[in-house]
Order: sequence, then C-alpha cells, then structure tokens
Amino acid sequence: MKRNFLTFFGLLLAILTFANGPFEKAMSKSIPAVFSASNSEELQNVINQLSRIGAAEGNRWEPYYYAAYGYIRMSGMVEKSDEKDKYLDLAKAEVEKGQAIDQANSELESLKGYAIMIQLTLDPQARGMTYSGMAFESFNKAVQLNPENPRALYLLGRMQYGTAQFMGGGNSEACATLSNAKALFAKEAKTGNPFAPDWGKESTDEAIKQICEGGE
Amino acid sequence: MKAPTTIILLFVAVAAFGQTIISGKVTETKGDALLGVNVYIKGTYDGATTGVDGDFSFTTYESDSLILVASFVGFHTQELLLEPESQQLKIELKEEINQLNAVVITAGSFNTSDASKKEVLKPLDVVTTAGATADIPGALNTLPGTQQVGETGRLFVRGGEGRETKTFIDGMLVHNEYSPTAPNTPGRSRFSPFMFKGTSFSTGGYSAEYGQALSSALILESKDVAGSNRTDISLMTVGAELATQRSFEKSSLAGKIQYTNLVPYFALVSQRLDWDKAPQDVTGNFAYRVKTSKTGILKFYTNLSSAVLELYEPDIAKPEISLPVKVTNDYAHFNTSYRELVGEKWGIRTGLSITKSKDFASIETRSREEDLFGFHTKLVADYLHTDRIAIKFGAEVIGRNLDQQLIDGDSLEQSLNERISGTFAEAELFASTALAFRIGGRLELSNLTNRLSLDPRLSAAYKTGEFSQVSVAFGRFRQLATNPILLSDQEASQEKAVHLIANYQWVKEGQTFRIEGYEKRYEDLTRFANIYDPSTYAYNGSGHARGVDLFWRDSKTIKNLDYWISYSYLQTERNYRDFPGTFTPAFASAHNFSVVTKKFIDQIKSQVGLTYSFASPRAYNDLNSEQFMAGRTPSYHDLSFNISYLYSNQVIIHAMVNNVLGINNIFGYEYASEPGENGVYASRAITQPAKRFIFLGVFITLSKNKGINQLPNL
Repeated sequence: MKRNFLTFFGLLLAILTFANGPFEKAMSKSIPAVFSASNSEELQNVINQLSRIGAAEGNRWEPYYYAAYGYIRMSGMVEKSDEKDKYLDLAKAEVEKGQAIDQANSELESLKGYAIMIQLTLDPQARGMTYSGMAFESFNKAVQLNPENPRALYLLGRMQYGTAQFMGGGNSEACATLSNAKALFAKEAKTGNPFAPDWGKESTDEAIKQICEGGE
Repeated sequence: MKAPTTIILLFVAVAAFGQTIISGKVTETKGDALLGVNVYIKGTYDGATTGVDGDFSFTTYESDSLILVASFVGFHTQELLLEPESQQLKIELKEEINQLNAVVITAGSFNTSDASKKEVLKPLDVVTTAGATADIPGALNTLPGTQQVGETGRLFVRGGEGRETKTFIDGMLVHNEYSPTAPNTPGRSRFSPFMFKGTSFSTGGYSAEYGQALSSALILESKDVAGSNRTDISLMTVGAELATQRSFEKSSLAGKIQYTNLVPYFALVSQRLDWDKAPQDVTGNFAYRVKTSKTGILKFYTNLSSAVLELYEPDIAKPEISLPVKVTNDYAHFNTSYRELVGEKWGIRTGLSITKSKDFASIETRSREEDLFGFHTKLVADYLHTDRIAIKFGAEVIGRNLDQQLIDGDSLEQSLNERISGTFAEAELFASTALAFRIGGRLELSNLTNRLSLDPRLSAAYKTGEFSQVSVAFGRFRQLATNPILLSDQEASQEKAVHLIANYQWVKEGQTFRIEGYEKRYEDLTRFANIYDPSTYAYNGSGHARGVDLFWRDSKTIKNLDYWISYSYLQTERNYRDFPGTFTPAFASAHNFSVVTKKFIDQIKSQVGLTYSFASPRAYNDLNSEQFMAGRTPSYHDLSFNISYLYSNQVIIHAMVNNVLGINNIFGYEYASEPGENGVYASRAITQPAKRFIFLGVFITLSKNKGINQLPNL
C-alpha cells in the first residue's frame, strides 16, 4: 500500500515537473529508444523523430545530442568503414546543430570527440596524427567546460588507453582518468534537466575492469 | 527511464479526435524505394520514417496549410504543400551530388589527403616510404608517370624535363623549390612534408588555374590551425632540428630551426666527391595560422635558409688536377593565403607569395651569380550554383626579376623582367553522380612576347561501376623558355605541350588499381646551335611523349602490410636544344618500375619499409661516337630500407639505408671540352655521390599530451 502510494506520488510529481508538454512527452519516449533500438532501421526511426523535435523546437540542444548519439550507435551496426565514416560525420553534424544552440556544452563536445575517436580507429595509420589531436582537443575542452562531467572523463580515459595501445606505454594515465570518471559517476546528481545525458556508468566500470584491474 | 513511458501511454489515450492520416511512398528519381526517409509536417513532431518499400504513414492533429517535408541523407530535401484531401502521396527525391557519391575526375592526378578514403596516397606515405628520405618529390618518384633521374632529385614527368614540373603551396607558385647541391648530385625539396595536409600531384591535364608548367603541377595544401602545444627535438647524423608549436584559441604559431652539417657524416662514410666544405645549411621555418571566422582562414608561412658547400672536382681531361667548386645560396620564401566563404554559394581565395633567392656557383675562375626576385598573386572566386554546377574563375600575376652575372675571363651581365598576367575560368558540371565534365580555359599575357594566348582544358569522368570509373583529359599548356635563353633573347617564344589522357581506376577498400595512357605533343621548343648566341635560336622544335602508367596498391590482403607497385612505359623523342635531329633525350628511360612496401611489426614495435626501384637504360651523347646520342647507360637499380623503432612513448629511433646493395648506378657521362692528343674525348661517369646513404636519428617529443610523438612524422 505504502509502495503504491509512493509510486503514485512519484508519478504525479513526474507529471507535474516534466511531463507538461509535447517536448517532454516526445523526448521521454525517444531517449530510451535511442539506447534500446536493436537494428539500424529502428535506430533511424528514433533519430528521425529526434531531428523532427530538434527542428520544431529550435532552441533545445538535447534532441541533437541524442540524434548524434544515435548515429554513433549506428556506425557500430554497419560493416563497411566508409559507411561507418558517413554515420560518424552525420553524428558530428548533429553535434554542430546542438552547438549552434548551446555553444559551451560539455556533453556535446564529449560526443564530438567520441565520433572523432571512432573515426580515428577506422584508419589509424593515416589519421593518427590529425584525428588524435582533434579528439584530445574535444575531450580536454569538454572537461574544461564541465570538470564534473563523468562522460567526458570516461571518453578521455578510453582515448588515452587507445593511444597507449597504439604507441606503446602503460595504462596508468588512462586508469587514473577512468577512476576519476567512476568517482564522478558515483556522485553525479540529477540536474534540473531531466533530459541531460546520464549514460556511461556501466561502461566505465567495465573499462576499469578490463584495462586496469589485474593489469598494473 | 521507465516512468516516462508509462506517462506517455496515459497521454496517448487521451487524444483521439481531429486526426488525419498521412501516408505515401518515397522513391528516388529512378523509381527505387528509399528506406529511412524522414517524412514530417514542418514545424511539428508529427512524422514517420519510410520502411523498406519506401512507404510511410502517420497521424497528425494539425490541420490548416500543412507543409510536408521529406528529408534523407544524400538527397535534396523536398517540401510540398498538403492538400486537405491528399491521399497516398508520391514523393520523388533527387540525389544530392557530393564528395562521397560523385564521380571524381582523376585523369592525370594523384591526390593525397587524410579526409577521403578514396585517395591513392596518404600524406604519411611521403614520410614512411623507404628511399624517399622524407622528401616529397622522392616519394612521388615511386608513382607511375615519373622517371628516375638519380642525379637531380627532381620530378621528371612523362618525358618532360624537371623544370616542367611546378610547385604550388596553397595555390601560390614557389620559385627555386629545391635546395642547392653540388653538380650532378640530387637536391631535395625545401619544404618539409610535415607542413602539408594534402598533396595533389598531377602528371598532366590539370586545371586551368595552373599555368606556366608544361608537364606537371605539384599542388601542396598546408595544414590548418594546430590544436595542441608541442616541442620536437631531432638529433640526426646529418644535423639537428628544433621545432615548437603553440596553439591558441583561434590561431597557432609554429617555428622550426634546422641545422644541417654533413662534415661528420662525410668523415665517417666515404664519398665519391672530394669535399672541402661538406654541405652546411641553416633553415628557419615559421608559420602563423588564424581562423578569421568559422569558415575563414588566414595563413602565413616563411622559409629562410642559407647554404654553402665547397669541393674539388677533378678535371675530366686531366684527372690529376682538381678544380675548386663552390656553391652558395641564400633563400627566402614568404607565402600568405586567405580563404573564406561568402554566403552559401560563394567562396574566395587569395594569396601572395614572394621568393628571393641568391645563387652563386663557381668552378675555378668561372662563376655564375643569380639574383632572383619572384612573386605570385592571385584572386579566385568559387561559385556553387547548385550541387550540379560549380564555377571557378580568377586572375593572377606571376612576376620574376632575374639578374645574372657570368664571369669567364670577361664579365657578362644580363637581366630579365617578366610579368605574366593570367585569367582563368572553369566550370564543373555533373550530369548525374556518375558523369562529370570540367570545361575551362586560361588566358595569358606575357610582357616579354607581348602575346595573348588562350589554352583550353577539358576533362570528364564516368562511373562504370560501384568501384570503377573512366576519366579523360585534354589540355594545352605553355611555359617560358629556360633562363639562359630568355636572358639572351627576351622575346623567346613560349614552349607548348598538348596533353591527351585516358584512365581507368578501380578502388575498393584498401585496394587501388589504375591504368592510364597518354599522348603528349611538344611544340615551339627552343633549338639552338649555341646557347648564348641568340642569332642561332629557332623556336620551332617539337617532340612527343606517349606511354602507359600502371599502379596497384593493396593494404588489405596481408595484415599490417601495405605495398604498391608502379610501372611506367615511356616512348619519347624531341628535336630541341642542340639536337641535330629527333632523339630520345638523356633524362628519359623507357621502363620505370618500383615496389614500395611498409609493414608494422608489433613484436619489435617498429615500422619497417623496403623500396625497390628500377629504370631501363638511358641515352647519352657519346662524343667519341659518330652518331648522336649513341651511348646507353646500364639499367638503374636501387633497394632502400628504413625502420622506425618506438623506444618509448615519446622517443623514436629512425634508421634508413638507401641503395642497400651498393650498386654503382651510372646516370650518364660527361666529356672534356676538347679531344685529347689521341683524338678521343676524355670522359667521366656521372654516378651517385656515395655508394650508400645511411641515416640515423633520434626524435623526441615534449608535449603535455603523452599520446603525441613523432611517429606519424617518420
């Protein structure tokens, strides 16, 4: 009984605080779908929905953020590297649309770096020099914009790990960054924005388990 | 994320009246269904994504004057006004022509860039090719269409002389782009490959934007604003370098000082030449780049250098007598360029390059001093009418003041003041993503001949399959006569060449195959009996070059191994200079072949490279033979090796050996000016300055970011 009451109260609160308009409605449906879509068709569907929301609103960065995230996921669903490249370019284009609305956004900048990081791995021999510089630039800028953003640190940590793998050298730097990310995830508070990104905690734990534990 | 889903269900249940169902099908112009198209009512969230059969259907509660939008990556977005009674809409989207899907005109050109996967070479290839010694022309010399001319180090393209290849940095012409050397020893390009993000090497049929080059245009594009701070220290057997780069919010500053001194190296490794003062050179590079807006960039670049070398060269007739040879050069090149987009459809590019070069060369008491001041300024507008029609046009002035003093007993002073004004226009037209045309022309006025000339440039490309295409090009090219000719006859007619090229290219991930055939006709070449006597000049020489170039590159078949094979067949003859008829010139060889391999070996954390080059015999004029150009050199062979070892994150050790096998390649023969007492001209072979070239270097990078080192540079 008490539990039912709490659920009802919670629901009511949720309705009052953020389910008060079409934007909120549409976003709270689309965001989980970006993460759960299991094939490229489903994913394109959600991305299209997000870009409709973005275009109709015109002053919200979040739809573009999730559309970009969707394209990054999409790049992992296709085989050919020039197709991967195409989706990552589309991800970067969505980030840019978001940045046109919110220029100093740490989350968008992290995502841009993420897309660049994956593009780098498509042809490390040729792209190493330019793309690693660009990816680090984005991650460092994202951390600078919001030092509390755990996703920026998680991605930076992965970049540092990848670089050490390619160039040789230990993982201590990457592990230090990843454990900072873990600490930030632990204390990451719900912000006033219910649509702020909140992914990455599990991936960080996973990365630490794989790279850092039992290794050094 | 669970709660919101529940809530949505609540809301969906509430609204159920005043709705319209909008449905239809989206196809491309040929009628094929498009999957994934975003179809929606403008300004709303209402919409759907098309399925495999191109169908869509959605419900909207909006009613009056609705605009339906259909948008899909790679196609033009379409908007249409919805009629109230719209039923089963049929929407046709037109494909957008962009870099990814459009056919590319490739006849005659090799491009490198890290942006596109379709390029034949990557910028890094220049520095990882064994035998190229991190020299741009050295690396390009492993591509088909070029000739091994080992005693110069220059790019000889398809039966053209080295001077027929011109170098442009950010669109601006560079004069005297090679560093000075001892007679008959190879020079290097003054410009480090690390400066550039892209290279376009054209072996013929190039754009109307480039003039005054008979055979080839080497178009280098410098890097943009740098994103990080770093300092690089390089210690090498031939000298040392210190480079630093500082990055600011919208700009970056880079400086590099190179000191080259071959004295210790020549003391250790025996040389064919008798050096008095081994080459020494100090070069400073300075670059400042600034983003002037989101789309604008302004670049400044300066290269300053001073070089000196002295040696003794035996007299050909009397080898026991050695003559002192001295070469000095002071050089300054300044290059600035600016580009910006104006609105959605226009782009402008402009630039100015200035070169000042002072050369001195002497043998015993004979000397030549040259003072060059050259400049190039250009303004180009790019207009994108639609994705199917792009037009560029521009104007430029190329100027050169040359003062020469020859001392051979008497002193002879000559000077030259040339100005070439050019305008050009070129249109690129796409009939579809599979068929493209480029039509252009170039109008030039030379102040020396006071003649106006119009040269057409045409090319086309057609996609024959998913991975293959054919491309053709035609064009007329002109270039002023050589300096000695111009200095004694300023009205010397320009030399001309007509190129006709056809190629087939097949590119699939990690593999490239190319075959290209060409025919080139030379007209109005300078002929003379005596180079310093204008009364003997005639401008009616002619010639031709024809051949086939083959290229195969594969980085896919064997893991971690990247290799390419080039073969060029060339048949060329000319009647020019002091030739008594039509002959194959001394720089041309019929068959050129090279294999370049690169492999990264994880176990030893090293990248190794091996390059083999071959050229068939070249002709030379044997003065002791009654026939002209009767001599034949042996074939040329070179096997070169390099290795880059990653010692630690930021320290790399690099070693290379050119001509591992120590083959004594002979490039031709020099003869004494008078026959000896027995009536025979004494001769001397032109060979390599040393059997092998060995290089060892340690490259250290200091950067906050530990991931950066000089590996990509090696």
